[in-house]
Amino acid sequence: VSLVELALYFGLLSLISVGGLPSVMPEMQRFVVDVKGWLTPSEFIQAFAVGQAAPGPNVLIASLIGWKVAGLAGALVALGAMCFPAAVVAWWVSDLWDRFKDSPWRQAVQRAIAPIVVGMILSGGFVLATPGSPDWRLWLIAGGSAAGMLATHLNPLWLLAGGGVLGAVLL
Amino acid sequence: MNQAVPVAPPKNLRELFTGFFWIGARSFGGVLPWAYRTMVEERRWMTHADFTETIGLCQFLPGPNIGNASIVLGKRWFGLAGSIVAFLGLMGPPFVWVLALFALYNDFSSNATLKAVVIGVGAAGAGLFIGTAVKLGRPLAKKPAALVLISACFLAAAVARFSLLLVIPVGLAIALIAARRNWL
Repeated sequence: VSLVELALYFGLLSLISVGGLPSVMPEMQRFVVDVKGWLTPSEFIQAFAVGQAAPGPNVLIASLIGWKVAGLAGALVALGAMCFPAAVVAWWVSDLWDRFKDSPWRQAVQRAIAPIVVGMILSGGFVLATPGSPDWRLWLIAGGSAAGMLATHLNPLWLLAGGGVLGAVLL
Repeated sequence: MNQAVPVAPPKNLRELFTGFFWIGARSFGGVLPWAYRTMVEERRWMTHADFTETIGLCQFLPGPNIGNASIVLGKRWFGLAGSIVAFLGLMGPPFVWVLALFALYNDFSSNATLKAVVIGVGAAGAGLFIGTAVKLGRPLAKKPAALVLISACFLAAAVARFSLLLVIPVGLAIALIAARRNWL
């Protein structure tokens, strides 16, 4: 049952994930942790961390959640559900997009999506840094890495490593 | 960049697969720079302008940006078979990597220090999201309507914890009206 639920829900998320996976991160957390209780808040941030530390698109965190819920089958189903509906949309839209290059609607859509994506990614960062009750140490680490990203051109891996060191010291 | 080699799409499905395989396999710390390096600089499948245009489209589509790029480019070069091959090449190595790492981690996660390190990495990853949001949001900062929309999205999604199945469609509809009235 949980496999079907996982497939349907992630399939729906896939269709609204404008701007990529970070946009639906708050929803994934809400559904998987708050609604279903498949993972604890702490397990969720740990799965996210492992996903960040591996190569590849960050959509792979979906497969880690699936793995927690139902093993390898869960991992494949979760990743497939998160990618397939969006892939079908991409397949159909890529031609249309070229055809409507100069249409005012295409330009309106582009401008409309931007603030929504920004709001969602911001929410994703906040929700991830606040598993359970607010913890100033996690906010400090998150704030530090955000500042590091904006102020320098470091490979993000260094910022993640810095977060790990701070975690060992503070937590 | 070697200017002497002309830009040409991959010759066959095997080349397409290995290209995306290498993007996926070494893309630590973000896929986009590796995709650029592989497709534009090393293999010279496409020009810089082409790449920017394609990624621009993929960022507006739902779904993982680079996953969409593998679908769109695979289709452009080889049709349906191309999309499937490119997507599998891209996702294969990282999928194995991430599961192996996670399985390994689960064996040791009772270790309190390791757990603290990983949670610290997670918090830093959350910070990267916040940094990305700031970067993407900067060009919007001069538009009051955009700031209102961003704040409303944040309140609805992060503070009130409404379902995004509701927040995103409603937000997009409002934003589209605002964009048509030239507020965005």
